[in-house]
Amino acid sequence: MGQSAFRLSGITKEFPGVRALDDASLEVLAGEVHGLVGENGAGKSTVIKVLAGVYQPEAGKVEVDGQLLSPATPANVHAAGVRFIHQELHLVPHFTVTESVFMGQERRGPFGLAKREMRKAAETFLRDTLGLDVSGNRLIRDLGTAERKLVQVARALIDGDAKVVVFDEPTAPLASNEVDIVMGAIARLKAQGIAILYVSHYLSEITDICDRVTVFRQGQTVGVFDNITADSAGDLVFAMVGRNITDMFPPKGDRVVSDGLQITDFTDGQKFAPLTMSVGKGEIVGIAGLIGSGREEFVDTLYGLRRRKMGAVSFEGADLTITTAAQAVRSGLVLVPRDRRHDGLVLSMSVAENVTLATLEDNAVMGLENRNAARKATLAQVQSLDIRPPNPDAITRLLSGGNQQKVVLARWLSTSARIFIFDEPTVGVDVGAKAEIYQLIEELAGEGACVIVSSSDPVELQGVCDRIVVMTRGALVGEMQADAISVDDLVAATTGASSVEEIRNAS
Amino acid sequence: MSDASAPTNLLINIILRFGFLIVFAAFFALFAFWNPVFVQGGNLMNIVEGSAVLMILALGMTLIVATGGIDLSIGIALDFGAAFAVVAMKSYGLDWFGAACAGVIGGSIVGLFNALLVVGLKISPFLATLSTFFIGSSVQRIFTNGGGPISHRRMPEEFRNLALGDVFGVPTEAVIAFVLVVIYFIVLERSIWGRRIHAMGMQRSAAVVAGIRVNRILILCFVAAAATCAIAGLIAAANIRMFTPLSGFSYLLDAIAAVFIGAALHSRGRPNIPGTVMGVLFLGMVANGLNLMGLNFNTKDALQGIILVSALALAVAQRKARNG
Repeated sequence: MGQSAFRLSGITKEFPGVRALDDASLEVLAGEVHGLVGENGAGKSTVIKVLAGVYQPEAGKVEVDGQLLSPATPANVHAAGVRFIHQELHLVPHFTVTESVFMGQERRGPFGLAKREMRKAAETFLRDTLGLDVSGNRLIRDLGTAERKLVQVARALIDGDAKVVVFDEPTAPLASNEVDIVMGAIARLKAQGIAILYVSHYLSEITDICDRVTVFRQGQTVGVFDNITADSAGDLVFAMVGRNITDMFPPKGDRVVSDGLQITDFTDGQKFAPLTMSVGKGEIVGIAGLIGSGREEFVDTLYGLRRRKMGAVSFEGADLTITTAAQAVRSGLVLVPRDRRHDGLVLSMSVAENVTLATLEDNAVMGLENRNAARKATLAQVQSLDIRPPNPDAITRLLSGGNQQKVVLARWLSTSARIFIFDEPTVGVDVGAKAEIYQLIEELAGEGACVIVSSSDPVELQGVCDRIVVMTRGALVGEMQADAISVDDLVAATTGASSVEEIRNAS
Repeated sequence: MSDASAPTNLLINIILRFGFLIVFAAFFALFAFWNPVFVQGGNLMNIVEGSAVLMILALGMTLIVATGGIDLSIGIALDFGAAFAVVAMKSYGLDWFGAACAGVIGGSIVGLFNALLVVGLKISPFLATLSTFFIGSSVQRIFTNGGGPISHRRMPEEFRNLALGDVFGVPTEAVIAFVLVVIYFIVLERSIWGRRIHAMGMQRSAAVVAGIRVNRILILCFVAAAATCAIAGLIAAANIRMFTPLSGFSYLLDAIAAVFIGAALHSRGRPNIPGTVMGVLFLGMVANGLNLMGLNFNTKDALQGIILVSALALAVAQRKARNG
């Protein structure tokens, strides 16, 4: 360690109207895992693209292994041994592991492709270098997300020339038990002397595996932290947002809880067994569970996106018939979906068009739109939720994750909904917006709404909810008061390490 | 950007901003230069009148493309509209209005069938309307014993006027097309239903989660589009005093082209009514202009294709430049 693997210094990069990078610097030393953190829009992706030679900066130097690249181009950066593991997988589902690893870099034998040799090489590399024991003949579509990620890594590194590997949000689509697979692979790469730049929103991962961390804010390097430990997260957050978010979660108000939503013997007949739960008015109930626990299917079925087999849903004693999402919305039950870019928003529509999508009648006369009224209504929501840019005509696609989530929220807040389901409310949302969304959830409950928060993030559930129900393998296995348990208890319950009974008895 | 390149940039900017309009104008000038007859009032009216049927079909197509699908059976709806109207007059002695209603109902049956396939059986619009096209074509052949036309020489004058009459000097078919354009514009671009249609066309799953009743919209759109195409069928039948089986098919590709020219013209690539109108008129102008240039029938299609590709490429570049 000690020698520079790559160094970017004095980098300035401008786009029309925005200075994305402003005299930024980033240095990764040989043999270290280096974290790069910052809120959305801090310049992380831009700096990676500068390193990759995709963007040419207006000013600054790119040095790899002590050699100045002027200019850096995708070809000479690759030749210098820098490899990029992009967030998206870009794998063909119907290809085998071997075909995927060697796509575009096939090896030839005397009789066409050296298939056997490639399969051996792919399997050996995945096993020895990344710690994944998998047959080269498996199809990509049969692999888990974490395994696919490792295939993507193998594809970038199989030529053996890699000296630096850049991971861009490698764990974003992964469930928490899958994260360990990727983390293990990164540790192995480090042990083999490869320098790693690790970009992630998940500070717990950063503090787990990184030796040093660089923090970006508004296009500038605001700090480089050595001696990273589990306690460094607070310092990193402070550097990222420029203020102290000691209380990510708002204090739980003294709310009067009264009868609200009652779900009885509710099942889709496939992915989750009949379950019964209630959510009072003014109450926030969390649903914990891993991918595959039936949590997502339950939420979708409750909202009418999937067909229910049996069970009853009532609100204030009156039955709700919900077989389609449209009926759910008209019954005052709304969903903030987990995949907001796919299910939450029409990305190519403007903010105003998205916000008013569920309340079109309110801003129309005899079916004809009153665009001024719609714009005004949107502007009020944009201001009260602090959506940026504060422009109702902005295209939703161009907003950051946190602001997109606020647009979804703004739409439902415009309705007279009384039951709110949040499915993974803060995935891909930066720290600042996260706190604001938690605040909003608390306010909704304070105003007497029934709130369900379904999440794979135990910290979030423990921090926001009053009560948490746990689902494992398609069954609701118990419920706990959030105050009475720790985050570790919750993890233990969702992973099945200990039963809900044991946890309740212990606390 | 340095000063030296400023004029070039300005030129590029102008071309990008007004790209398609420039192409439109350039062709207009070219045709006018080649054959002055092109710009005479009578010929321009010919273009408008000759585009009416395509215009009406393209409106229906725009509606379906806006929902995120495509309708390959618009020609069948046209044929059914014509057939029902002609048979209603010839065999059942209905007056012109009854016949027109029968035609629209006949076309709507095609739309209902499409809706059944797409909404009920969850078949993709492309394959569903392709099936409708095959079935509808065969039904016409069976009904006419192999595809012979059904003529009706004593067609009521009022019905004939749908194609041959005029309103204050403007051909009726152009007036009908114009009225439909206005209705479609209001519904698709200015009403809350249009907003919902666009939303589901751009991102169906998000529209569903937002509480939009996408199935109901799909059914209504398929029926409305087919009914609209049936009106084009009425005009076609009135024009030649007969129902000619399978005549609607020839409009299909032009209608698709017009809709996608229109979408390319939109700043965000949405199918839209003003764009479709531009597309139809452009296709009408090019066909008419090439005709007047006396070009060989075989080269005409090739030229039309080349013109289409260049215009679309320009429109795409234009949108890219505008959106940064």
